[in-house]
Amino acid sequence: MLERRVGVFLCHCGSNIAGVVDIPRLMDTIKKIDGVVHVEDYKYVCSRPGQQIIHDAVKDKRLDRIVIGSCSPRMHEVTFRQTMRDSGLNPFLLEIANLREQCSWIHSNDPKAATEKAIDLVRMAVARAKLLEALDEPVFEVKKATLIIGGGIAGISAALDLANAGFKVYLVEKEPSIGGKMSRWDKTFPTLDCASCILTPRMAEVGSHPNIEMLTLSQVEKVEGFVGNFEVTVRQKPRYVDVKKCTSCDDCTKVCPVDVPAEFDANLAYRRAIHIPFAQAVPSAYVLDMKNCLGVDTIRCGKCKEKCEPGAINYDDHERILKLQTGTIIVATGFEIFDATKKEEYGYGEFPNVVNLAEVERMLSAGGPTQGHVVRPSDLKEPRRIVYIQCVGSRDERTNRYCSRVCCMTAIKQARMLRDKTGAEIFLFYIDLRTFGKGYEEFYESTAAAGVTFIRGRVGEILQDDTTMNLTVRGEDTLLGKPMQLDDVDLVVLSTGVVPPASAKDVARILNLSQSPDGFLLEAHPKLRPVDSFNDGIFVAGMAQGPKDIPDTVAQAKAAASGAMALMGKGRITVEPYYSVVDEDRCSGCRLCVSLCPYNAITIEKNGRAHVNPAVCKGCGTCSSACAASAITSQHYTDGQIAAMVEEYLSAR
Amino acid sequence: MGEIIRETISAGDMDPTFIEKIEKAGADRIRTCLSCGTCSSVCPSGRRTAFRTRELIRKALLGLREDVLSSPDLWLCATCLTCLERCPRQIKITDAIIIMRNMAVKEGFMLPQHRKSAQKLLQTGHAVPLDDANRDMRRELGIPEIPPTVHSSEEALAQVKEIMRLTGFDTLVEGEGTGAKQE
Repeated sequence: MLERRVGVFLCHCGSNIAGVVDIPRLMDTIKKIDGVVHVEDYKYVCSRPGQQIIHDAVKDKRLDRIVIGSCSPRMHEVTFRQTMRDSGLNPFLLEIANLREQCSWIHSNDPKAATEKAIDLVRMAVARAKLLEALDEPVFEVKKATLIIGGGIAGISAALDLANAGFKVYLVEKEPSIGGKMSRWDKTFPTLDCASCILTPRMAEVGSHPNIEMLTLSQVEKVEGFVGNFEVTVRQKPRYVDVKKCTSCDDCTKVCPVDVPAEFDANLAYRRAIHIPFAQAVPSAYVLDMKNCLGVDTIRCGKCKEKCEPGAINYDDHERILKLQTGTIIVATGFEIFDATKKEEYGYGEFPNVVNLAEVERMLSAGGPTQGHVVRPSDLKEPRRIVYIQCVGSRDERTNRYCSRVCCMTAIKQARMLRDKTGAEIFLFYIDLRTFGKGYEEFYESTAAAGVTFIRGRVGEILQDDTTMNLTVRGEDTLLGKPMQLDDVDLVVLSTGVVPPASAKDVARILNLSQSPDGFLLEAHPKLRPVDSFNDGIFVAGMAQGPKDIPDTVAQAKAAASGAMALMGKGRITVEPYYSVVDEDRCSGCRLCVSLCPYNAITIEKNGRAHVNPAVCKGCGTCSSACAASAITSQHYTDGQIAAMVEEYLSAR
Repeated sequence: MGEIIRETISAGDMDPTFIEKIEKAGADRIRTCLSCGTCSSVCPSGRRTAFRTRELIRKALLGLREDVLSSPDLWLCATCLTCLERCPRQIKITDAIIIMRNMAVKEGFMLPQHRKSAQKLLQTGHAVPLDDANRDMRRELGIPEIPPTVHSSEEALAQVKEIMRLTGFDTLVEGEGTGAKQE
């Protein structure tokens, strides 16, 4: 047996442990263990005097291994490791026996058995402590650049914070312009600020910031490496227009003979094949939609190139593959609007006068297809009777079970604006109105005062009169307990919820992120790590993580930027040494570990032997348990250490 | 039927075991009801009668047992299943109604019309037995006046009656439950 000098410190944790576990009996038993040269108890070992006790005992008794019986290592391992360093010991020569969460708290009704269990836990901890080895924490350099995926308000906010702090930012956006969904919205609740008025200055700032490199029409294809050293592959589609030469003069669209539905205007208007998505687009440059272009040679068309004075149009533009090196990544891939055709009883897609929230936003916008007038799509007349239906596709077992959080306020805002602008009769059917944010309840109150009628009930079906295109809405006023039928309704607006974008799955796969059951990206902890992912150095912000409004989205973006800065500011990170190491003399290069490693941390080197990348390895132990030659050791959790604990537990006291 | 209708619901009116029984009998998601009213708004019966699906489910959830079981509204559902199809919580509303009907009959709450046809079944083996008009029609169509069912077999009728005795159906429809007196 190795000659070790183990010191054991037992924490009462007030009465949390000592109120259940018989500490004197525990101490008497521990004292008899071979190699234990010091046992001491204290009311709160984590306190300053408690740590001093350890410090002094290390000096006086020349201790070389420390066992602490206390709360879970999740609580105070960091504290006690620092005590180790301060006492001149390697921090990995410490073992914590969890006497609180795994003993006193759960066995409070049986103190005798709890005491016996505490004895076993400490015995096992001592057995392992004797075999602990001093380990060094590897240090890695962190590249001072961030990749941001998604150029909506989340990506824009995070990009500006990082760039202003002096970090390089690559902002990748799949559309021809940044701005995301917010650029399509008219006003924001509850202040009725115009969305473009507050968004476009931020977009322009991104466009001209020396630290931000904007990559539009681009998608991330592959991410390799690890925190601090990501290698990113981006595929950029051709724009066919030189951003630097284009003056946005609009001459090209005047000659383009092709009309196609404009996606930016929710397909309520037409655009040309060569077009700019919207007036304030950043980069302020046109884009040629080659799929709908008649032809780039002079025989078929080629008119736009002929007309372009600055010579910005280049028909030979081609796809590019870009390689970026970044230290951190922020995922801000946003959301899509729920497809209301899935709720057949509401007739969306079949009845022209049934529309969704996004379509009304475009109609409300002065720059939109109707110059700010909300109309009935069937005859372009101003609606006099309007019905809003909440929770379309949300809180529904057959579509999405979650609450989309933004539709209540968006509908109230639109109803308020329509009521104020046109004096139309407006009925808003709801199950529960969720006006939780700052100033939201007050806005709801003033909207009710403005004359919008709120009806507590969900609409069951909509019928259409095929001659007038008027609609009949059937619901129930559940507060009166009476069925309700509204006839001659001009316009029905479905408060469509939000869903994860179709690309969420690909993003999750490329970045090795998890999705929650609702399909949005999963955060590392819902309360304490809300914008971190399970992968170090990768953050999630905005709707990509789940439904949220603009204030919450911006707050998350800033949180993600600050998380990225915390990693990059220091310029290097210390990695816990719980990684696996390969004994090259034993490794046969069979590649079994390579195929099993869930983190892609193992590679086969030139010499044919496996190598574990310490920065990527999480110390899960899959490789070491699978290795036929026992060539892989999981540092700090060696077979010997675990076997010693089992052996101690099974042997007689 | 009228005596339990009062303005204030007190704790004593609510029987928590009532909803448990409905759940166990198969309407397992009933407690997730949002009381959104979709069921009432699509109910073809409710457009013509006093039947209020949501109200019935709400009363069941609160455990207003007697109120629900004694209500003639319980029998106005046509079991068309539209409510289940549209329900955002996908509650088996029609199943719950059928379960509650079974409970009502067990306690003697039964509409006179239903009791009458059940008794017909007991006597003749048919809920809608052969009458003169039917006989004439069958004669005109050239098919036997009396169909080859229990109508033409004393033995089969005896067997049907035996089944009803063994299943307890006879005592159920002939029985004098609490509600039977109120007919």
